[in-house]
Amino acid sequence: MGVVILLLMAAGVAAMLTRRLPTAFALVLLAVAIAFAAGAPLTGKNSVLDTVLQEGAPALAATMVAILLGSWLGKLLEETGIAATLVRKIVEFGGDRPVFVALGVLAVSALVGTVTGSAPAAMLAGLIGIPAMIAVGIPKVTAAGTILMGIAVGVPFELPVWQFFSTALELPVDTVRGFMVKLFPFALVAAVAYVLVESRRRGVEHTWSLKSLEGRPTSRGRRQLLGDAPWYALLTPVVPLVLALGFELAIIPSLLAGVVYALVTTTRPREMNRRLLRTLYGGFEVAAPPITLFVAIGILLAAVKLPGAVDALEPLVKAVSPQNAVLFVLVFTVLVPLCLYRGPLNVFGLGAGIAGVLIATGIYPATAVLGMATSYNQVFGVADPTSTQTVWAAQYAGVSPQQVMVRTLPYVWAVALGGLCVTAATQL
Amino acid sequence: MSGDHGPGLGLDPGHDHDLDLAVRLLAGTPTHEGRDPLVLRRWAEAAEEFGRRMSPDPVPVRVVERDGGLTAGLLARYRSRPPVVEVYVDTVDRAERLVAELGWRSWFPAGSVLAAALAHERAHAWLHHARVRAEFKRALGHTALRLGPRRLYAHVAGADELAAHAYARAACGLGRSPLLLTEALAAAMSKKPEVPESETDRWVS
Repeated sequence: MGVVILLLMAAGVAAMLTRRLPTAFALVLLAVAIAFAAGAPLTGKNSVLDTVLQEGAPALAATMVAILLGSWLGKLLEETGIAATLVRKIVEFGGDRPVFVALGVLAVSALVGTVTGSAPAAMLAGLIGIPAMIAVGIPKVTAAGTILMGIAVGVPFELPVWQFFSTALELPVDTVRGFMVKLFPFALVAAVAYVLVESRRRGVEHTWSLKSLEGRPTSRGRRQLLGDAPWYALLTPVVPLVLALGFELAIIPSLLAGVVYALVTTTRPREMNRRLLRTLYGGFEVAAPPITLFVAIGILLAAVKLPGAVDALEPLVKAVSPQNAVLFVLVFTVLVPLCLYRGPLNVFGLGAGIAGVLIATGIYPATAVLGMATSYNQVFGVADPTSTQTVWAAQYAGVSPQQVMVRTLPYVWAVALGGLCVTAATQL
Repeated sequence: MSGDHGPGLGLDPGHDHDLDLAVRLLAGTPTHEGRDPLVLRRWAEAAEEFGRRMSPDPVPVRVVERDGGLTAGLLARYRSRPPVVEVYVDTVDRAERLVAELGWRSWFPAGSVLAAALAHERAHAWLHHARVRAEFKRALGHTALRLGPRRLYAHVAGADELAAHAYARAACGLGRSPLLLTEALAAAMSKKPEVPESETDRWVS
């Protein structure tokens, strides 16, 4: 039966890779198929309908709320001009030294990455950041990669991600936070190295382009014209982070505090209600794709944790899972590419199911699986040519996602290696 | 955009239009969204003046001729590592034909497009020298930070493009700004698309 479940998983990966099915739909179908293969009854305890679908769908509800709040805050950063002001100031201060601009945009991307993830984060930092970098001479692939590497620096401190791993792996938030703090230096060093090394290797680039001169100057008030946010409003992205990391406040109140801070530092009292509602509804739109995915992941996790599935998969997974720390690092580092192209180790896809299997069968402690999953997440978030932020950043810069993957993969692979080494050293 | 406004109507017949084009380029450059048009005009004038007065050292740079410029939406490209100027000959040919069609030959003499492309990219290379960068920022006069009598000058995104065009115009003795040619080429391409729109170059740098 275990082999049948693995074949079903392979079919699910094939459906996602060939884009026959959207990832979320493929995961739900896969979950139902696994549940039937594991011999689960239709209704009742450990059943397809009651356990997998009914209990699985809202299992990651806390993550979904965190995602929604992060998206809301992201919308506020956009509408109040906080993100744009940060990039504009960086260009004004460091624009004659392209590498300074790239490092500055990297820092903004990291800040934005702590608030929200995926394509919305890339857009917040990249809408102005990418063309601004290109305008000062940074090659396009380097510019797109800088945004993605920057977001990856913020990901270890992205509160919705803490919530996701905490709920999905049934670990306390403190444990997740503890590992993320250890993962962060690897992400930071790799991102800074990316900017410095790629800037040195590729230098600067200027083109005489045939772009039509479309810009038209307009006349309005300066603040309104530039969307300048006051300097104290620029601290918004660090507010949730300071509260959650420094004061160990819970994730949802920390994010709410960020929303309130952004609002009161940028908005007149009589405009607050309207802006809050508008950005909240906008946040729903932004959060819809990841929330859909988290519903599906919850369902898949419920399926792979069914007793029948655990019993069937345990001997098979045990036979191929390395127990030696060195082998653990080697094997899972070599397997890094399997989290690309919606592959089986993508933690926001089938990888979540595999993580569930590893924990449910007791092959690795949940903390080791956390280390593995978060390490892979650092790769997926930057280099996967099918992930929305990579596609958006690459296409917006005018290059292909594959070019960005080739350029960034060595750096994020090194981050994964670092994360896996820490995991092996501390959790095995 | 026809030959009606040919040379000979004044000392610098297209000055206002060229300046308008320069202001539009700045206005379309990220970080200047909706910036005060008068400020943009002042910067455009300062950048063009700086470009006209530039005298880059003759640094040997490899020049490579390429095809595919119309597809990529490029006329020329400068890369610093290794230093190379890529000239897209198909775009240069198209520009020369367009100059003839529009009756602009007195502004852009035969062969001047290639010369302007090389001069433009030489200017970009020159503008990366620390001393030149500092002078350029001072000429633009945009203050990022002021501490008593001390001023930290800000970078103005897009201004180096204007300076490079102004240098190319002065160095090649063109009657009008190369921006006019850029606009004409963009207009011609949009009327009779020779390339898929999605593949055109998105940002001026």
